[in-house]
Amino acid sequence: MTATAKRTMPYGVMPAADVVDLLLQQHGRIRDLMTEVMGGSGDQRRAAFRQLVRLLSVHEAAEEEVVHPVARRHAAAGDSIVADRLQEEHDAKELLEQLDGMDPDAPDFLPLFLRLRDAVITHAVSEQRYEFNNLRHKASPAELAGMRLLVQAAEKVAPTHPHAGVESATANIVIGTPTAIIDRARDAIRAARERLPRSGG
Amino acid sequence: MPFNPLQEKGIPLEEQIRNWRELNVEPFDPDTVHPYTRCRVITMNGIEMESILFSHNFARHTNDTELRRQLALSRYVESQQQRVVNWLLPGWSSVLETTIAYEQVATDLTSWVARNEPDPYLRQAYEFGVLEDFDHLYRYSNLYEMIEHRKAEKIVDELTEVMPGRPTKVEHRHPFDNVRENYDKEAAAPISKLHQLTITAAEQQTLNFYANVGPQYMEPIARQLYQEIALIEEEHVTHYESLLDGDQTWLEQLLLHEYNECYLYYSFMEQEVDPKIKRVWETHLAMEIGQLQAAADLLRRYEDRDPAELLPAEVPNVLLFEPNKQFLRDLLATQMDLTTLGTGYVREQHERFVKMQERLHGGEQPPSERVVAVHEERFGGDYRSEQEGPHPVEAFRQHAEARA
Repeated sequence: MTATAKRTMPYGVMPAADVVDLLLQQHGRIRDLMTEVMGGSGDQRRAAFRQLVRLLSVHEAAEEEVVHPVARRHAAAGDSIVADRLQEEHDAKELLEQLDGMDPDAPDFLPLFLRLRDAVITHAVSEQRYEFNNLRHKASPAELAGMRLLVQAAEKVAPTHPHAGVESATANIVIGTPTAIIDRARDAIRAARERLPRSGG
Repeated sequence: MPFNPLQEKGIPLEEQIRNWRELNVEPFDPDTVHPYTRCRVITMNGIEMESILFSHNFARHTNDTELRRQLALSRYVESQQQRVVNWLLPGWSSVLETTIAYEQVATDLTSWVARNEPDPYLRQAYEFGVLEDFDHLYRYSNLYEMIEHRKAEKIVDELTEVMPGRPTKVEHRHPFDNVRENYDKEAAAPISKLHQLTITAAEQQTLNFYANVGPQYMEPIARQLYQEIALIEEEHVTHYESLLDGDQTWLEQLLLHEYNECYLYYSFMEQEVDPKIKRVWETHLAMEIGQLQAAADLLRRYEDRDPAELLPAEVPNVLLFEPNKQFLRDLLATQMDLTTLGTGYVREQHERFVKMQERLHGGEQPPSERVVAVHEERFGGDYRSEQEGPHPVEAFRQHAEARA
């Protein structure tokens, strides 16, 4: 138990948005994009799937680089919880790579996609229940704020929420497989970490 | 042939106990389920919980071992029914998502009942209450976007609008003013008795749910909002349960419970769009028919009364989950500023109301106000889902900036 474990918020005070808020936002968006992919077809499905690939890749890089190391440090059962999450991420990444090479309108796309969806959402819910709660409770506000900056740096590599019309602008295009996007996001996180004051994530 | 569950062939009680395989139901998919399918699941969970709790209380008011055994058997199969129905909910959904669905149930179920209630005094009770559930939907939806970063329309779709109702802040009344007059068991239409049972069961389940899950949240604003709204649910259960004629015997009330379960499973079976869940409603209807007939036998044996005299000759019009947008907008336009005094309704802020408000709020804003204020601060406005135009009451319209 750390000293921060028991901190309470006086009535009427609202904590500032932190890294968990950002990750939850990404989870919500992942879930909604998946529903779009399932319900759409043709160009609509293709566009939703491209956005999903970018978002999932950036999200996974952020979790591996930023979230799990801190969670491991803070959680009592941290190692085994993080190990479970890493295995889930590994499985999901393989499915994503496989889907990435397929035509979204091909008949075998949807069954495989449903497997990915099942894996990703179950993984996200487990993170929310077993990892994020603990993180928020045990990590210091400064640590959480630093982590937020790192996740934002990863987001910049592959904008996952493009404004209408700028989709094709060069700055927004990330060409490559999920693995390539993950690598670039990871590099961006490491570069951002260099720039952070020491107290950060 | 009209459907009369007293005359139908149901499953005998002894044959209703199911094994693990039968109890192991597959949950629905929260992102593709029809919102009203989820509402039907939540409603029937509340109805089954009510039947279980009623039966336990009945058993605590008799020393008759044979009667207690009959209640125990019926209650055991009802417990299995509850486990099946509530286990249709998916583990993927967060507590708050389920909460928002509870408020969609409260809004559209109570609206339908109000629209179809023949007795004007009872109808007024439902019209009064529904504007408060409608406001809870709005408050929880703001919390949802704030802490889970997702919009409530992903859950309720555009079937139910989300906007302020009677503000939760002014729903806190002195407990004396939550007690209504009861219907008269001799004069009331059978459908009125069923409506009262249904809404009381739904509100009781909501109260228990919020009071139990609220502290699972870490975010202070979430914990506080659940605490506040769970207190309103206490008021609602008091409000609706007091409409019951408490002079009806335990066995008479048992018969009504069983009949109501037949009526609701029958209604939901008729409208269900999910084939797997429709089969659950069908199976449970056949079981309820057996339970109703067992309750009818008890009434004949212990009270020498004819159950048919207490029940409708044929099942009433099916209860429907459907949008009630215009109905709610009309109520918003005319009843937002109502409160209660004694067993009636007034528009003035009377002394007992004002004192209660002062005592509870202690000069501060309650969680239901703060959740919207913080949302406005963070997102530049409150969260709403208005499909039929701006709020009917000018003072509750959204600022132009927030709509942009």
